[in-house]
Amino acid sequence: MSMRLPKQVGEWISRDKQIRFTFEGKEYTGYEGDTITSALLASGVKVLGRSFKYHRPRGVLSLANHDINALVTDGQDTNIRADVVKLTKGMTLKAVNTDGGVINDKSKYIDSISPLLPVGFYYKAFHKPAALFPFWEKVIRKAAGLGVVNFNYPRINKRKLNDFCDVLIIGAGPSGLSAALSAAANDLEVILVDENQHLGGSLTYDRAGNADTQQMLDELVAKVSASPNIKVYAAAYAAGYYQDHMVPVVTADGITKVRAKAVIVSTGVFEQPPVFHNNDLPGVMLGSAAQRMIHRYGVKPFNKGIVVTANAHGYRVALDLINAGVKVAAVVDMRAQGQKDEQVAELVRKGVKIYTGFCVYEATPVKGKLGMSGAVVCPYDESTANADVAKAVTIECDGIAMSAGWAPAAALLYQSGIGMGYNNDIQQFVPNRFPKGIFAAGRVNGVYSLEARLTDGARAASEVASFLGKKVAAVSVESHQGTSPSHPYPFVHHPKGKNFVDFDEDIQIKDFINAAKEGFDNIELMKRFTTVGMGPSQGKHSNMNAIRILAKIRNLPVEKIGTTTARPFFHPTPMGHLGGRSFHSHRLTSIHGWHKAAGAFFVDVGAWSRPAYYQKSGLSKLETIQQEAQAVRQSVGIIDGGTLGKIEVCGPDAAAFLERFYTGVYADQKVGHSRYVLLLDELGVVVDDGIATRLADEMFFLTISTSNAAAVYREMQRWLQIWQLNVGLVNVTGAYGLINVAGPNASKVLSKLVSVDVSEAAFPMGSAQTTEIKGVPVRIVRAAFVAKQAYEIYMPTGHALSIWKALLEAGQSEGIRPFGTDTQRLLRLELGHHMPGYDTDGLTNPFEVRAEKALHMEKPFFIGKRSLEIIAKKPLTKVLVPFTLAVDYKGEMPQDCNLVIEAGGIKGRVTSISYSPAAKRIVGLAYVAPHQSELGNVFDIRTDNGGIAKATVVKTPFFNA
Amino acid sequence: MKLLNCPMNGTRPLSEFLFGGEFREMPNPDTSSDLEWASYVHYRDNAPGVKKEWWYHSPSGTWFIAERNTLSDEVLATYLYGKAPDATKTTKPRAKKEQSE
Amino acid sequence: MTALIKTTPVAYAQHEQKPAMGVHNGMEVALSFEGAAVEKTHKQVLGVTDVSCFAKFGIKGPKAADWLAKQGLKTPDEINSWVEGAPGTLVLRLGGSEFLVEDQIKGNACNGLSTFNQDKTAGAYQVARADAAFILGGSQALNLLSELCVMDLRDSALASNAVVMTQVAGISATLLRESLAGEQVYRIWCDVSYGPYMWEMLLEIAQELGGGAVGLTARFQ
Repeated sequence: MSMRLPKQVGEWISRDKQIRFTFEGKEYTGYEGDTITSALLASGVKVLGRSFKYHRPRGVLSLANHDINALVTDGQDTNIRADVVKLTKGMTLKAVNTDGGVINDKSKYIDSISPLLPVGFYYKAFHKPAALFPFWEKVIRKAAGLGVVNFNYPRINKRKLNDFCDVLIIGAGPSGLSAALSAAANDLEVILVDENQHLGGSLTYDRAGNADTQQMLDELVAKVSASPNIKVYAAAYAAGYYQDHMVPVVTADGITKVRAKAVIVSTGVFEQPPVFHNNDLPGVMLGSAAQRMIHRYGVKPFNKGIVVTANAHGYRVALDLINAGVKVAAVVDMRAQGQKDEQVAELVRKGVKIYTGFCVYEATPVKGKLGMSGAVVCPYDESTANADVAKAVTIECDGIAMSAGWAPAAALLYQSGIGMGYNNDIQQFVPNRFPKGIFAAGRVNGVYSLEARLTDGARAASEVASFLGKKVAAVSVESHQGTSPSHPYPFVHHPKGKNFVDFDEDIQIKDFINAAKEGFDNIELMKRFTTVGMGPSQGKHSNMNAIRILAKIRNLPVEKIGTTTARPFFHPTPMGHLGGRSFHSHRLTSIHGWHKAAGAFFVDVGAWSRPAYYQKSGLSKLETIQQEAQAVRQSVGIIDGGTLGKIEVCGPDAAAFLERFYTGVYADQKVGHSRYVLLLDELGVVVDDGIATRLADEMFFLTISTSNAAAVYREMQRWLQIWQLNVGLVNVTGAYGLINVAGPNASKVLSKLVSVDVSEAAFPMGSAQTTEIKGVPVRIVRAAFVAKQAYEIYMPTGHALSIWKALLEAGQSEGIRPFGTDTQRLLRLELGHHMPGYDTDGLTNPFEVRAEKALHMEKPFFIGKRSLEIIAKKPLTKVLVPFTLAVDYKGEMPQDCNLVIEAGGIKGRVTSISYSPAAKRIVGLAYVAPHQSELGNVFDIRTDNGGIAKATVVKTPFFNA
Repeated sequence: MKLLNCPMNGTRPLSEFLFGGEFREMPNPDTSSDLEWASYVHYRDNAPGVKKEWWYHSPSGTWFIAERNTLSDEVLATYLYGKAPDATKTTKPRAKKEQSE
Repeated sequence: MTALIKTTPVAYAQHEQKPAMGVHNGMEVALSFEGAAVEKTHKQVLGVTDVSCFAKFGIKGPKAADWLAKQGLKTPDEINSWVEGAPGTLVLRLGGSEFLVEDQIKGNACNGLSTFNQDKTAGAYQVARADAAFILGGSQALNLLSELCVMDLRDSALASNAVVMTQVAGISATLLRESLAGEQVYRIWCDVSYGPYMWEMLLEIAQELGGGAVGLTARFQ
């Protein structure tokens, strides 16, 4: 039976655009502008889903994005919120939480055994016997959770954008619209966000039987659209509040992070259900839900119904129902004093029976609880929350609209750090202490009459303008007049229970009473024990009632109970939105393309991508590395070292700076020579090492290991600022390429490309030259990190690839071979060089790595010196030593970090270990106790599987270089 | 995301900054006792309150000092080292101080 | 004297687009991608051009501004701002005392600056520059930047002479806006090693928004 009404003023649907879709296998038609729920309701479908725990049939509750029992899936997405998601052509939908369909759900029996399943039953029931728990766990896990995860979900790129404004206004109801217009008039840049498809908030549905307010709404929206200062995000929710006024606004397409100078929260209120037996039957709904159905979607909520109320709003709902052609059998007012205003008078004129001081004791279900056939109405004692069943009246009806009160939609206010106090005049938490730049307006701020809400918006806007330094007149708002919009305790006890507080999780009044009895009588504990507010709606219709119940149980004022912590997100936000686009920033040297083409296996070193080795078909990783190493030992190899940190230290105080920063001396260093540098931190811990080459009196060229480059440069900048020396630091890490040519034939290859003499005699260790290769100016430094004969060639990065190719060509007759970082680590190990960060850790001091020669303690100052003076007084506890295993060692290969054991105790650990093709045995570095460090001493390494490898302390290099 | 005001580049989101630890005045290494020095390098006063901290603006490479209330996470002032806005708070450059002591 | 031709740092990321390459200012760069007609449309919607080939000169230190002035270049008075230091040449002041000079398509000032001699110039230090450099233009440019940069870059917030050192796509970058043949464009510089990554990100989003790569030829025709 169609429930579609004739065209309503201001409705959101386009009746000329029909949309066909299927739900639970049956085809239906809706209009463009319908939500899934409204289209189904219009088609006469009342049962939209099954509840989470008891699988009770459920219909519409709020039509405001917390109808958690009306979640559907379209096969791709799950848990689609039918009450707010727009209907689109060809949707094929089914309810998520059923076993065999929403009408014939096989799990519906659970409702009948519900007394066996009190809150927390699974904590208690299934832990004994322990052997059965895995079985029960499977059953529980199957029952728990909503929807099915789609593992074939396509990658949809949801953009994350940034936007900016003076004032962000969240919620475009009357107060939000008014605030936006006032702020815009004060020349402020406004962003106005509303989660509904159209602006207007309650103006779009709360009509009390006439459409006068539609004209006001049209005018407000027209002004907003016309204002160049207002940018509107409709169908978008403010998902959370983050520091310094950053609010992510979520739309279907992505997230916009809005940074505002001030925020006005005008999010309104959530209507709260009064709690009575069977208040969850399809047909029972919030008054505002009935109004939304009528005015937004032109759908009749039910044919004949009653309104149960505890405020003035219920009477407005009744008028709207009558106007839509619903027969209103009665208005049941839970308050003893009732309501006296124009709307009540009008209803009486229209012949509506009003039961003052009555409650709905229960709703009467039809077969299978798929709807309702009537309501039992009884006199109600507000002080005890009990109904006088003796005087029960049964009213035949197929629907109940409920209006007993509201809870502020204050999640974002709480997140911003606001203080809230309980206002007894309106029985609501309202803000009483605001963080800087946070403002509230409208019903969330405790302002209820339409006129006052418009003024409150203007008031908030003027306070924002004044906060942002504009001179504006203050606006004042009258305090609340008339009856309270919320009932302090809208509950009706019933021996059979099934009076639901939380529709997400099927939590009844007795569950709270039981929780309190078990000692969970603090709101945060009660929340976790009962799971109230932990369902997908996050307590939007249940938290306030839970607080009221706990206050009653503990006989405390509501304010003393407090609220649970509000956390982002305001609505569930899809993971795809949070993920957004993939950003994987990475640094490449200008030779990267060549490496890739040559089969390089890349590893990440800090932000850089570097070749670890060059894959050769038919060879294992280990074999490849050993071959690359042998090429360097026997002839010549080259490695792209462009990732190395490179810093120029210039100026009159350059040497002085280095002497403070590093442990060595540099004042007397000759131009054209290089020296080792060792960096400690203030604790005397080894941080990094490298080479300082003096290129001119006032210019040093420094290298820093790849992974430390950024951090060391930062420290240089910091200390320079503290020391105030006359020095300029220039980071040329990216601007210069570096190619290291190493091996006995290195000079032979290099000599083919340069005019200067690079022979051993003319270009000894520790010297540097500036020359040209193919017309490109290069700096060449003799270094011996990977081979006795090695040249580090620095060139402008744009030329690195050409020079790389030139070197390969020049070295062809020598069998030159590129090698990667894994090979480099083996090569330096063979020479016995330790690497900071690899062979040292965050506690290693230079004495432990036998770096005394690098320490110039006679200098007046260097970073870490004072700490070393203290450390030097104490006995050493460990020393890094080079070791080898026996040539014929056949046991398990020890690994980095295997422990050095003596008499059952730990003495140290292996830091580097590898088979050395040059030494033809396993070589490594390890920390041992000082008494174990003597040359020739044998110590034990415990392997992964518990074996013992005998290691002998030796001299380096490990082979005859 | 929190905002921080770089004295050279203006107000930027926290993602552009690196934290450089609490700023501590180095005792004179030549005259301080081992205990004084050890407490300088090892001990941190973690009691909440207004702290001087090092912050680094990555894109521009600017180190500066932020005075931050670690209880409220409110930044009271930011300035380049040695250029505190209030003369009484000015921290003398290290080099000069060493000479004077 | 330099016989070898440099290659743009972005080349590695441009392989798939198969651009027609050519040499400008001693560096091989992409001259065209999909042809003049397509690139003209991209330019209007959202065009990304690699201009890493523009000659650059960097200098820092307390006397850097004086030295540039002596070479006849105008330098910006305010920190983090830029001026046209000579016809067709931008001079960016990065922070207080560092400068980046970049010749545009027709500028020719950097050549003269290569005479800089460290030994004879106290208080100024040459900064070797090899930045990857881009031009971003078109009606959707700000849309793209609102995804890649957390800063407010709208005209109302970004002064026409402002230089911002910020993060773009998560990495440090320098950014400004300028007018190029009557069209407002954004300039982005980042470390040369991030060039391929930056190109990939700019292009990915540009293509989503209906734009694409624009070669040097189409950009300046």
